[in-house]
Amino acid sequence: MIDTVLDTYALTLRSLREVVRQPAFEVQNYFIPLFFFAVTVAALGNVSARAFGVENYQAFAMPVAVLQGAAGGASFSALAMVTDIERGYFDKLLLTPTPRISLVLGRLFGDGIRVVIITAVILFVGFLFGTGMEAGILGYIAILVLAGLFGLAYAGFGLAIALRTGSPQAAQAGFLIFFPLLFLSPAFAPKEFFDGWLEFLATFNPVTYILEGMRTLVIEGWDWGQVGEALLAIAILAGINMPLALFALRHRTA
Amino acid sequence: MGHAPGFPVPCSISRVIFVTLTRSTTPDIIGVVESAIVASGLRRVFPPDLAAVDGIDLDIKPGQIFGFLGANGSGKTTTIRMLTTLLRPTEGSATVDGYDVVKDASKVRARVGVALQEASLDLVMTGRETLALQARLYRVPRGDLSQRVRDLLRIVDLEEAADRRVGTYSGGMQRRLDLAAALVHRPRIVFLDEPTSGLDPISRNTIWRYVEDLNRNDGVTFFLTTQYLEEADRLAHEVAIMERGRIVAQGAPAELKASVGADVVTVRLEDEDFQPDRAVAALKAINGLSDIRVVGDSVVIYTKDGSSAIAPIVLALNESSVAVEEVTLARPTLDDVFLRKTGHHMEAHDVNLEPAGEGGAAS
Repeated sequence: MIDTVLDTYALTLRSLREVVRQPAFEVQNYFIPLFFFAVTVAALGNVSARAFGVENYQAFAMPVAVLQGAAGGASFSALAMVTDIERGYFDKLLLTPTPRISLVLGRLFGDGIRVVIITAVILFVGFLFGTGMEAGILGYIAILVLAGLFGLAYAGFGLAIALRTGSPQAAQAGFLIFFPLLFLSPAFAPKEFFDGWLEFLATFNPVTYILEGMRTLVIEGWDWGQVGEALLAIAILAGINMPLALFALRHRTA
Repeated sequence: MGHAPGFPVPCSISRVIFVTLTRSTTPDIIGVVESAIVASGLRRVFPPDLAAVDGIDLDIKPGQIFGFLGANGSGKTTTIRMLTTLLRPTEGSATVDGYDVVKDASKVRARVGVALQEASLDLVMTGRETLALQARLYRVPRGDLSQRVRDLLRIVDLEEAADRRVGTYSGGMQRRLDLAAALVHRPRIVFLDEPTSGLDPISRNTIWRYVEDLNRNDGVTFFLTTQYLEEADRLAHEVAIMERGRIVAQGAPAELKASVGADVVTVRLEDEDFQPDRAVAALKAINGLSDIRVVGDSVVIYTKDGSSAIAPIVLALNESSVAVEEVTLARPTLDDVFLRKTGHHMEAHDVNLEPAGEGGAAS
């Protein structure tokens, strides 16, 4: 048990070191969400009140940027894992007596920490442009935690693909699957204005609840019910992705 | 063993007994020479039905350097991956240091050091970081860790490059780091998969020296695969020659070479007038030749006494008007062992799969 913890720690540090040494990979994780944030606010901000009753569209869009950044950050480990597999370094790790789960957890925690940092930067940019946070300092902390946990849960999916295929293209596709999930959620307008089919799909999309939980904190204030729903949605996502990742690891080592 | 506890005994002897006791799986049987690596009927089939390793038996004693010789695709790497727990055998079993590679995989991992083909390293880490992480994962005690890393860097002569990223290292430096990474936990058994392939002669020699030193001074058992005959000949106490998943010959290099016959006479025939069948027919009339084979553009003749056979060989060929380009006489090498067992040269494996001696397919 203690070995699992210490090895996971050592492997998490290694994962974070890669980020520091390859900063070019990180740029897109900050640029893409903030770019989308800026253009959607500029395009819809002036009509959102009349169109669908959202007074402060900037606050409405902020959680979308956070989730985009989180999904980007949580996709790094899949690519890094593929690189390890291709170079044979993953075999070297498998040859050590380290618990197999540490090899997965070290990557996941690396992504989780990276996501928290990306989220902090995005929230800070929002703060500078006056986005506001009704739930106050506790709201900022809650969004950091939710984003970090979402990152952990989401990264499992990419890792599963990476371990199963060992292919960089497939690992990249693991990130792209986030976009349908995002567009099938009330990312740009409230769910009540959706067509029936889209509203139906959004209801079963875990991203909907994570987004709404964060949005409530920004626009309305602290709400245990909404935060709880977001946590439950993250748990469901993790409940699907973690077994996939562990199953893929088992398959690779059989 | 007859010493009472506390009775002064020469320390080296008491240590030997201690080592035997702790490494034995059946501690009550003392005096049986143990095996470092045992395989029986080991087999691995890749879907749909490629038997990369097709039932091999091994029994490697502690303190040996065991050379696993074979061409690309002969099953060497698959064997090493099974013995080091990276791959499950389809059939058969193997133990390393007394532990089953499937049932006790984690015990095997803790006891062996492995350097895989092509120096599998993380290019973003520095050499020192690589060894430190490796030492951590192999449970080197925290207090000894940085000293151990420093020692290893010194041993493989990478002290100056220690804090540079591995991506900036030359091929030889990467192999040396990879070898050091396999040694962090002072394993008694080390697996090296083609440790010198693609290296220049100087780097190759350096690796050989490390292997020899560790074996001689520390008694480390080595299992190394290679496609270089010279490497197996120079390093290995015992070699197994692998061909299409099976071991075709096994023994000490000197023994194997002696088994070839004695000397090897190679007659290269002229391309323009290539008549191997006529040459073989002419040679068959000579007494004292133990084997005659056609390999590529040459006829290879095995005989007890090569120097006295040359004259009759040349005369017989001349009488049958076979055009000869060149005649050479040599002591047998491991390649001749390979040739004798498989019918082709080791290097020719990929290009010439036709059984030799059946016709005139010049390569």
